[in-house]
Amino acid sequence: MHEDLLPLLNAYLDGELHGTRLRELELHLSGCEACRNELKELRLVSARLQAAPAPEFIPAGRFASNLVLSLPRRNMRNLPAQPASLAWWLVPAGILAAWFFIQTVFTLTDALTAAQMTGLLGQAARWLNGGQETIWFAAVTSLFGSQVGAAQPEFSLMNALNVLGEHLLDGFLWQALIVLLYWTWLSIWWLRRRPRFMKMENAVNG
Amino acid sequence: MGSPHNAEDENGLIEQARLGDRYAFGELASRYYPGVVRVVYRLCGDTGLSEDMAQEAFLRAWLNLPSFRPQSSLRNWLYRIAVNATLDVLRRRTDESLEDEEAWVYPDQAAGPETSLIEKERVALLQLAMCSMPEAARSVLVLREYGSLSYQEIASVLDIPVGTVMSRLNYARNRLRELLKGDLLQLENEYA
Repeated sequence: MHEDLLPLLNAYLDGELHGTRLRELELHLSGCEACRNELKELRLVSARLQAAPAPEFIPAGRFASNLVLSLPRRNMRNLPAQPASLAWWLVPAGILAAWFFIQTVFTLTDALTAAQMTGLLGQAARWLNGGQETIWFAAVTSLFGSQVGAAQPEFSLMNALNVLGEHLLDGFLWQALIVLLYWTWLSIWWLRRRPRFMKMENAVNG
Repeated sequence: MGSPHNAEDENGLIEQARLGDRYAFGELASRYYPGVVRVVYRLCGDTGLSEDMAQEAFLRAWLNLPSFRPQSSLRNWLYRIAVNATLDVLRRRTDESLEDEEAWVYPDQAAGPETSLIEKERVALLQLAMCSMPEAARSVLVLREYGSLSYQEIASVLDIPVGTVMSRLNYARNRLRELLKGDLLQLENEYA
């Protein structure tokens, strides 16, 4: 008898051997009488266990009826949330995508504005001029004519600084909104997840 | 055990029970009670204790159902609870009455009034052999032979590696073979 094959014989008996190991063991069994006898004895042990009569227990229906009557109240606050759906996990992805989009728009706008203000783009970006006037500067130019900017360079500079300030404020507000949305989602996720910290093993072991 | 039931229907019952429906849990209990009580009986060899432990296991399962993961097997989870509860009781009994071992090691020979004296003796011998085995090996053997669990499932229920399941099963069957030598010889002759 090959002692090292004993666990494999048990696995073979229980139908737990597959593939190459199964074929190898079957090949070995066909040529080894000691192992065949060993397997036969293991089968007898298993058969003996299976054949052992069991006593009469309470019928399942009666057991269940009695059980239902004796079930204690359960604290429903411990009920963990169902696993989150795909849509739930798409929320942070959407927020990040929105952040990326807004950042890109602002960066491109900044770059184009800077290029236009320094004249790098020439006439190609005249359409950007519409966004380069604050309300007060537009009022001044409408009152005193469009040449006021050229005549009074400090007006143009103040206008440019004002435009830049508004632009930075816009960027900050958008980013704050994105961060707020993300933190809100994170808080909800944490609150939903918290009850799962109850370990099943602890519960099982009482 | 357990597998013949419609999985969708069972998932619905589990969800209802998770939300507090006692009758849904009762339906699940009536499905799994026979398997649970049989496994527990083979672990402890005591009819009354088996029923008590089955009751205890289902009560624990009810209380902890919210933490049950719907993707896992309810049957295996119930077995796990029942085996742990039973082993806890057996350990307490051993600690409390080591000198009074007969109080639990010798099983009730409840094989029914119609069973012959010889058969009763054989049953008693088998239960005695089972009870004399270390609980680690006994649990594996019982879950395999009476719970019909695969090695992987036993490993999951007992929280041990599959390799350990194999070695404990090997030990348990060899030990039983030694303890039941005469009985097995008789069985062999009956089969021959």
